[in-house]
Amino acid sequence: MNLLAPLALLAIGGVALPVVAHLLGRQPPREIAFGALRFLPTASAVVSQRRALRDLPLLLVRAAILVAIALVFARPVARDDGALQVVAEVHDCLLLVDGSGSMGLRHGRSTMFEHAIERAGEVLDALPPGSRVGLITSDPRGPRLEPTAEPERIAQALRTWQRDGAPRLGAWSLADALPHAIALLPNPDARPRIVYAIGDRYAGGLGALPERVDDVAILAVPAHPSAPPEHVALMAATWEAAPDLDPSALRIRATVRRFVAAPAEEDTREVSVALTVDGEPITRASVVLPPNEDRTVEFTHVVQAAGVVPASVRLEGLDGDPWPGDNERPLWLSAAHGFEVLVVNGDPSELRAHDEVYFLTTAVSATEDAVLDGIRVRSMAPDQLEHVLRKDGRSALEHVDIMVLANVRAPAADISPTILDAVRDGMGLWITGGDRVAAQDYNAALDEVLPLRLRDALEVGTAPGRERALMEGLAPPDLAHPVFSGFADAGGLDGTRVRKVLLLEPDANRPHGVALSLTNGAPVLVTRDVGDGRVALLTTTIDRDWSDLPLRPGFVPLVAGTLRWLGGGAASRVQPRLWVGEPQVLGNDKTFVVDTPDGREVPARPGSDGVARFEDTMQPGHYRVHNGDAQQAYFVVEVNPTESDTSAPAEVRTGALPEGTGVMATPRWRIWIWLALGLLGLETVLRRRAVT
Amino acid sequence: MKVGLEALADLIPANVRAVLQTQSLRVGRPVLGRAFGHHAAARAGPGLDFRDHRGYAPGDDLRRLDWKAIARRDRLVLRQTDSEDDLTLALLVDGSGGMGYGEGEAQKFAVARALTAALAWIAVSQGDPVAFAVGGTPLPPALTLKPRRHREALDSLGQQLRNHRPDKTIAWAEILTATRLMLPPRSVVIVLSDFLDPVGSGRAEDDLALLGELTHLKKRRHDVVLVQILHRDELEFPWKEQRAFRFVDLLRRRPALEGSALGLREAYLERLHAHLTWWEESSMRHGILLERITSDVALPEALIHLMQRLTGHRRP
Repeated sequence: MNLLAPLALLAIGGVALPVVAHLLGRQPPREIAFGALRFLPTASAVVSQRRALRDLPLLLVRAAILVAIALVFARPVARDDGALQVVAEVHDCLLLVDGSGSMGLRHGRSTMFEHAIERAGEVLDALPPGSRVGLITSDPRGPRLEPTAEPERIAQALRTWQRDGAPRLGAWSLADALPHAIALLPNPDARPRIVYAIGDRYAGGLGALPERVDDVAILAVPAHPSAPPEHVALMAATWEAAPDLDPSALRIRATVRRFVAAPAEEDTREVSVALTVDGEPITRASVVLPPNEDRTVEFTHVVQAAGVVPASVRLEGLDGDPWPGDNERPLWLSAAHGFEVLVVNGDPSELRAHDEVYFLTTAVSATEDAVLDGIRVRSMAPDQLEHVLRKDGRSALEHVDIMVLANVRAPAADISPTILDAVRDGMGLWITGGDRVAAQDYNAALDEVLPLRLRDALEVGTAPGRERALMEGLAPPDLAHPVFSGFADAGGLDGTRVRKVLLLEPDANRPHGVALSLTNGAPVLVTRDVGDGRVALLTTTIDRDWSDLPLRPGFVPLVAGTLRWLGGGAASRVQPRLWVGEPQVLGNDKTFVVDTPDGREVPARPGSDGVARFEDTMQPGHYRVHNGDAQQAYFVVEVNPTESDTSAPAEVRTGALPEGTGVMATPRWRIWIWLALGLLGLETVLRRRAVT
Repeated sequence: MKVGLEALADLIPANVRAVLQTQSLRVGRPVLGRAFGHHAAARAGPGLDFRDHRGYAPGDDLRRLDWKAIARRDRLVLRQTDSEDDLTLALLVDGSGGMGYGEGEAQKFAVARALTAALAWIAVSQGDPVAFAVGGTPLPPALTLKPRRHREALDSLGQQLRNHRPDKTIAWAEILTATRLMLPPRSVVIVLSDFLDPVGSGRAEDDLALLGELTHLKKRRHDVVLVQILHRDELEFPWKEQRAFRFVDLLRRRPALEGSALGLREAYLERLHAHLTWWEESSMRHGILLERITSDVALPEALIHLMQRLTGHRRP
């Protein structure tokens, strides 16, 4: 035990004060020699003597109060391995407090956030005199204070922040907030610079922080030292059309996970998952959850109503769950998906029959597929696409469900990131081959989403010495592939002859599926899931240039199946999904009105860039967008599932201190404060009893 | 000033001495002295006041024949007059510690001393014998209780009054018993005390015992006069502050008392007045004259008032 301010112990000399006050307060009695003492009541004398005896404990209590206060100001610290460690010498520091929604997890009697505020108070108390301390939080709307020599300002800001509703969903992770913290910590006096990061011990919290950034040491201060309590979270809820069951059938999948810090063998728990559609409970299922593993519950529901209906999946029977914020996820369900297909025609022709996408658009219009009912096809040239994307950016693809790059050379390097983002967000991308395709450019632009990297085109059936290329037939399709879901057989693709295909680089590490291939094994239709989106690569052309596929009766079902599969990711894009706090881009040059889950109607006006964004997405639930037109848009706001992940407590590093910054210490004076307060209460009682 | 009186002069304030020239000690009833004096006696004898006639008997002084009466009655009669005897005055002064309360001339013992000296001065000046006792511990010498009228008696009285310092308690029982034995009948016994705590015990039994001793004196046909000298502080208890007071017993019989004066005052006054009332009623019931004097009053008026009460001319 050491003292940060040993001079404060001089105040213990103040113990003499209550003694003096006691003696002075006792007031020496005025002495009177009197002859009529027999008429004075003697009881008073007895009381006087007793009071003197009773005042002794009062005196001792007052002296103890002064000693406790002096010890508080002397700031005793323990040089031990306690969880809370504070640099002992004068330094500049910043408190980085985790204000994310997961800090609402109840741990013991308090939430993790309340523990964090308490720990922040302990750090403030422990700072050596003369140190400057600032504050930043992972909540973008939280307080932000530059370093000051007045720790009380920090404590006040924390109290205000807590009173204003922190923690809340939609905050940054500590790792995201760290650069802001570093920027807020100047170094004019060449003092040691420390960031005290206070948060939970999970991989997304303190575990994601480095030990040091340049000369700034990062000291992790766990809000609570022990493992978190067990809790169950609904990690995701998705849906997709189930046309194989019914044109209006939907498959709704819920992923549930049970987080246990220290799992025991054969430790399982049964949880009930309920589906509610349009406010009506539809069905309920139970799932047995092992520790720290995902379990999926699948519901099938036939949507009766036209249009879009709100639904939700909710965990039930979780009374006492430490964090109920992740027990429900909203959905917008719709049986009719009016896909928006953007066809980028890389080889347009004035002769309709020679146009690259003639057969594709004809097939789409001819299909009777229920899912593709109401499909809308737009076509544009590659340069038009580049112009639109450069002008409007990501918002230009906001309502595009499937993009078909038909015999397109390759997306330009500056627009390819936009396409990649759209794919990851759920857009389907169908790349078809052709003479204009530049394989290397594709590999450079869309490598991240390509099922397999492209190589040059090859005339199939060619071989050394053979003067004339032969046609290659299609192998029977892989009916297990979702593209062919609902197919009973080859479906009219028999006899298809392929003359030329794009070769692909084999890559076992790249996740992909082959739906269709040539009899020689060369893949023809390769697919891949990317984020929420899907990508299909047709290595031959979509017109008759490289094969007679468009002439085959199976072409229309193939197109329908491929588009339906590609749109599967986009199906749920009827309800774009945002994490809490993320803005939603609504459109250009219009003012929209957003109906929020709590019943408000919030206008969203175009900004300076002409794009209307809705940013008030702090509340999970269903949002509906309208602007006076008949067309409405929908999106849901969900809790980011990373907030729920408490399964992997990270090893909290104590931080790499700069050389010569001295030892670290754990403050030990808070107990003296409580002791002084207790003694004050005792003193009040004793004083009242003495007066009585 | 008559011979011997100068021994008391310094004990009597000047304004009191001025009053003494006009005062004389008188009682409202016949006396029964041992020698000729100035007080009407309860028997016939040499005197000026006509008493009655009686028949002549051989041996009677022929100068006392009343010739006018002989002429009216035609037989020899003698004219008798009331005798004029001296009056023995006993002054018993409480010299206990309680009488030491007060400062300067307002000290109770100082007042008692001045009154005693003044009364003795009056008595001696008119030829009456004086017995006295200045009480305290140890007991005063018994010799002083023998009535005397010559100069040495006054010297002794003056010396005792001058030298005595109030302290401790007084043995009233012994003093009053000795007084009863030493005094001739029909003397005047003046007891100067505060009568607050006669023997320092604080017990009512001791008050009754003292009253009993005084009653014995009364039964011996002495005039018993109680001069109760009190200080105004004792009557009014002027300390009203909340602060603590420590009362030390002047009698040195009790431990000191400590407490809030304000808290003590009410009970004190209640008990004091009960005590004073008891003395008033008891005195009246036993024919004892009680004169209460506050130590800060003017002594000449107090003395005149006392003399008037002795003659029975004034009520308390």
